[in-house]
Amino acid sequence: MALPNQQLVDYPSFKLVIVGDGGTGKTTFVKRHLTGEFEKKYEPTIGVEVHPLDFHTNCGKIRFYCWDTAGQEKFGGLRDGYYIHGQCAIIMFDVTARLTYKNVPTWHRDLCRVCENIPIVLCGNKVDVKNRQVKAKMVTFHRKKNLQYYEISAKSNYNFEKPFLYLARKLAGDSNLHFVESPALAPPEVHIDLAQQLLHEKELADAAAQPLPDDDDDLLD
Amino acid sequence: MDDFERAILLVYESAGGGAGGADQALLSQAIEFCDRLKAGPPSALIRLCLDRLHCSPLVPVQFWCIQSIHDIIRLRYSSLSQANDLPLLRSSLLSLFSDRPLPASSPPFLKNKLAQALAALIRLEYPSSWDAPFIHFVSLLPAAGAAVIDMFSRLLTALDDDLISQDYHLSPEDVAAATCVKDAMRLQCVPQIVRVWFEIVSLYRSSDPVLAAATLDTMRRYICWIDIGLVANDAFLPLLFDLMIASATPEPLRAASAGCVLAVVSKRMDPHSKISLLRSLGLGGVFADVEMVPKLSDLVIGYASEALECYKRLGSELKEASSSAMVLLEEALPSVFYVVQNCEELDSGNVVQFLSDYISTLNMPSQKQTVYIGQILEVIRGQISYDPTYRNNLDIPDNVGKEQEDQMAENRKDLLVLFRSVCRVAPDVTQLFIRNLITGALSSSEVNVEEVEAALTLFYRFGETVSEEGMKTGSGLLREMVPLLLSAKFSCHSHRLVALVYLETITRYMKFVQENGHYIPNLLAAFLDERGIHHPNLNVSRRASYLFMRAVKLLKAKLVPFIDTILQSLLDVLNQYATFYWTSKDLKYSGFEDGSHAFEAIGLLIGVEDVVLEKQSEYLAALLKPLCQQVEKILGEVKVQGLEESSPKVMSLQQIIVALNALSKPKDMVDFLLLINQVICKFGTSVERIMEEIFPKVASRLTVILSSNPFSSGLGSNTEELRELQELQRVSYAFIHVMVTHDISSVFIAPNNMGYLDSIMQLLLLTSCSHKDVLICVQIFVKLTKDWCSKYNGEDKVPGFRRFIIEKFATYCCLYSVLDKSFDFRDANTLVLFGEIVLAQKVMHEKLGDDFIVYFVLKGLPTTHCPQDLAEQYYQRLRKSVYYARHRVPASKSLARALALACQLAHCAKCACVLRSCASAPAHNTSARPCVCALRMCSCNRATTPLAASRTLVSAPHSPRDWACLSYPARLGLLIIPHALAPARHAAPRTSTLTHTAPRATAFACHTPALVCHAPAPRPRAALCLRPAHSLLMCRAPEFHMIAHDPDASLNFSKNSGLLIL
Repeated sequence: MALPNQQLVDYPSFKLVIVGDGGTGKTTFVKRHLTGEFEKKYEPTIGVEVHPLDFHTNCGKIRFYCWDTAGQEKFGGLRDGYYIHGQCAIIMFDVTARLTYKNVPTWHRDLCRVCENIPIVLCGNKVDVKNRQVKAKMVTFHRKKNLQYYEISAKSNYNFEKPFLYLARKLAGDSNLHFVESPALAPPEVHIDLAQQLLHEKELADAAAQPLPDDDDDLLD
Repeated sequence: MDDFERAILLVYESAGGGAGGADQALLSQAIEFCDRLKAGPPSALIRLCLDRLHCSPLVPVQFWCIQSIHDIIRLRYSSLSQANDLPLLRSSLLSLFSDRPLPASSPPFLKNKLAQALAALIRLEYPSSWDAPFIHFVSLLPAAGAAVIDMFSRLLTALDDDLISQDYHLSPEDVAAATCVKDAMRLQCVPQIVRVWFEIVSLYRSSDPVLAAATLDTMRRYICWIDIGLVANDAFLPLLFDLMIASATPEPLRAASAGCVLAVVSKRMDPHSKISLLRSLGLGGVFADVEMVPKLSDLVIGYASEALECYKRLGSELKEASSSAMVLLEEALPSVFYVVQNCEELDSGNVVQFLSDYISTLNMPSQKQTVYIGQILEVIRGQISYDPTYRNNLDIPDNVGKEQEDQMAENRKDLLVLFRSVCRVAPDVTQLFIRNLITGALSSSEVNVEEVEAALTLFYRFGETVSEEGMKTGSGLLREMVPLLLSAKFSCHSHRLVALVYLETITRYMKFVQENGHYIPNLLAAFLDERGIHHPNLNVSRRASYLFMRAVKLLKAKLVPFIDTILQSLLDVLNQYATFYWTSKDLKYSGFEDGSHAFEAIGLLIGVEDVVLEKQSEYLAALLKPLCQQVEKILGEVKVQGLEESSPKVMSLQQIIVALNALSKPKDMVDFLLLINQVICKFGTSVERIMEEIFPKVASRLTVILSSNPFSSGLGSNTEELRELQELQRVSYAFIHVMVTHDISSVFIAPNNMGYLDSIMQLLLLTSCSHKDVLICVQIFVKLTKDWCSKYNGEDKVPGFRRFIIEKFATYCCLYSVLDKSFDFRDANTLVLFGEIVLAQKVMHEKLGDDFIVYFVLKGLPTTHCPQDLAEQYYQRLRKSVYYARHRVPASKSLARALALACQLAHCAKCACVLRSCASAPAHNTSARPCVCALRMCSCNRATTPLAASRTLVSAPHSPRDWACLSYPARLGLLIIPHALAPARHAAPRTSTLTHTAPRATAFACHTPALVCHAPAPRPRAALCLRPAHSLLMCRAPEFHMIAHDPDASLNFSKNSGLLIL
């Protein structure tokens, strides 16, 4: 669908639809690139916002018009009407909220009904949070549907470019395409330390194997 | 275009958000217009939409119309009139699917949306109110033509997606509705529909293969719940097989037929029937066709997985049946291997899963199975190999290289798990496989980086599964392979990946060298020559330097004969290091592996006791001289230039200092102290005399050890040296603790030892106030207070000690340090410490009586600006708590009160409030623990109300070091669920609150065998048995009935328990 209010550019541009449950961080994610402004508070998106995101590849510049759709509306708005003419998509869930992963198939289904055969990336957001509910091992949906999966952390910019790179490669039909310069991102708000995170998990597992002190008497008496 | 169309278009186009100021008003008008239509009477809207659907050429308008109809069916069905609206809706929708279709050129999403609307209506009406829809299609098809067939397929697909399929998150109502529709279809029309499918595919397979494929794709979804005989029969199977095998079949149609066959293969049934089904399919012939097999990869793997599943389920009791399952499996195995190696677009996850399952069924592999294992190893090797395209990107890693490396690490995860199982099942086969890879790589000059890297990676991973004994003796082929590896130089050894995994591998097998000393020169050569520290790649040489240090640690004395050689070959590296000029760019990369480990290695080496002192200082001098010269040089330059601009120089300095540090010989007193501690623990007061004798020597060392501060953070604080010192300090405190708790504190005050007392006490006090690893220090003071503070005939047992405790310990540790910001109530260790401090106050009050109270209340508290009345209350409570203690009121209750008061002193009104409630809860001997929880909860800054506090507790991340308290939040978390959830407005927060709790509850479950805890979504539910023997507490959504049995009423938490409600 034409975008009469968007400035047209003379390099390739694609309509990218971002879907997923409310609160999974879709708006946060796109805003990392755009304005560097990072919303700490949760604000349900109203309707849809379109962010033009430019990337520099070895084959030149490309633009994704990211359609950031609302996650929660049931009745109002255009809903799947916004997917029309989508050329690629990101389905986002929140690794700290299991339900958001359980709803991924529904988002995928609704998307595919409108946009047949487009490249789709599944993103598990908020991997910086220690209290994960959806472990990487539990994420299997993408395998069934041939999607690409990335773990990301919008807050820390972790893997920010990966979904865009994958989509750009698919759209360009060139698996060697790469970004030649990094887009300006908002500075990370938290620093993700994956090694540390692995360590935490291991410690927790080790701790679980330890016997617990007998009972109440060890603490205060 | 009329207003209706214009409004819809405007809304669609506004999505860009860039509508100018002038359009803004119009846009809001348009949105309002559309919303008003949607909210208006459904009868009118349906008629409007049906009308516009046919007469408007605009796709957005058409989409909006169908969407509105769909919404009315879903959300406002009950407001439609039975007499007029519904008959109109039924007939119009059906005719949109048959005699008045959308234009053929309509985009697919319009057709899909229409299918969605009709499926929604079927869900609500079929079969009770409306039994016509399927019969309608069956009567028309296949004669009605391609357009109707297409719409019929879309309808069945939408019905599956939106109602029947179990891939989605379904509510019980969804499941009930699906069952109802499926049952009715089975009775009414399924055989007819299957016949229609058969006719469509037969008719259109050549003329419109896309339509035939779409039909089969739809059918695939239905196979799992319809009578399998309708498809697995003499008519349909030949058709499907023909489509699958014929070389002329277009690929999508082939894939669709294979998908149907896979659905037949995967149909759920008992293993005996499954075996007959699989056998009757006769897929063996298809799999024998190597041209075809790669195109049927999913089918191959699905078939093999099903056969394996049968074999597993039949088990060993039913030998005959399970062996026929094995026959089917082995028939498919070669195809599986072929597919994995020849099919690029394969979901390797499925294959790895299957192979892992297969391996897990093998106990004693037969000869045939050994061959399969060899092939699995070959599959693993192939899958873990890098793509040669990126060889240069990986050598000196750039972005692409790093991406490849990450990707590979991810890909390898499951494969290496599989590899481990192979190693366990067939270690000999694996060894032989690796040996052949390595010898092959060494004998060829053409061998490439990727092959060597993969071979070494497997060799390295194999080491994980070798026992300690096997490692030392070199079990099996290892005896031959490790020496082979140590002397190996690959033609591509200069590549970073090869060199790194090579070094890791020789490090892993170092224990073998330790036991077989004659290989030491080979090991040293590998570390020291251009394969290791002299490797041209800085990454490699630094890693080598670190790994070499570890080798030195392991082999120590065995390396003494080689010191000269080692020093000789390291001299250039060490010099280079000292004179290395750090540029700002290097600063970024200098991390843990900075190359200083070579110094550490040498420090360790020349410190070995077998090296004579003279020789030690000679070596040391040779190393120190250049370092010192360099320091002087840099300092000179810094003086001239100023320090700020020369941060790289500072870095260089720091490096040298680290190097110097690393060179120094570690003073190892830890072992000695540990031994003494064990001796004291074992023999208690009977070693008092011995301790008195040796104490002066130990004490003089202790004061030195304890007065240095190893906790200063900053660069370089991670070095081994500092860690050792920290360890030494911990052991030293443990030593004092052990002495005190084993009643030989008299050793400290023996005449010969009194001289050390003062300094040791000062150090203990200092540590007690600093909140770092200090629990035992406070415990030491508590015990000493008990031991030394009683008066004997009016005299102090230890002169000055009472005063010290009252004026120093009580004030600084028990008051000031608690008020310090670093005293963090969110930290479980701090909480435990706090409990200890409260105990200390109690003991002081008991032992020191009014002397303590007077000083503490009159002198100590006022300096913290504590209000007079609070101080007074504290005094009263403390007295009472002692009273309680004396009168056998459960200690925890009195402690809880003391805690509450102490909290109040710490100006934490909320904590005090909660704790007071705890204290006033029915008395029982476990109330102390909930108090801790409550305190924990309220100490969170964000807690503004009890409810918020309870949520905070449940959702606050607990780091593993909070482990000691992990069970309490688990208990408490479940207790507060009703409170946390009662006012929750949405369904989502409910679930998330619960799921947040679950891990902790599960963690707790690990420790209490009888404990049951589960929270299966979508219905939050949790059950927790607090103490296996006593209490069972359950809460169940949505009403959260809580049942508490407990004979002692030890946990009297009814739903409205006062415990957590303030």
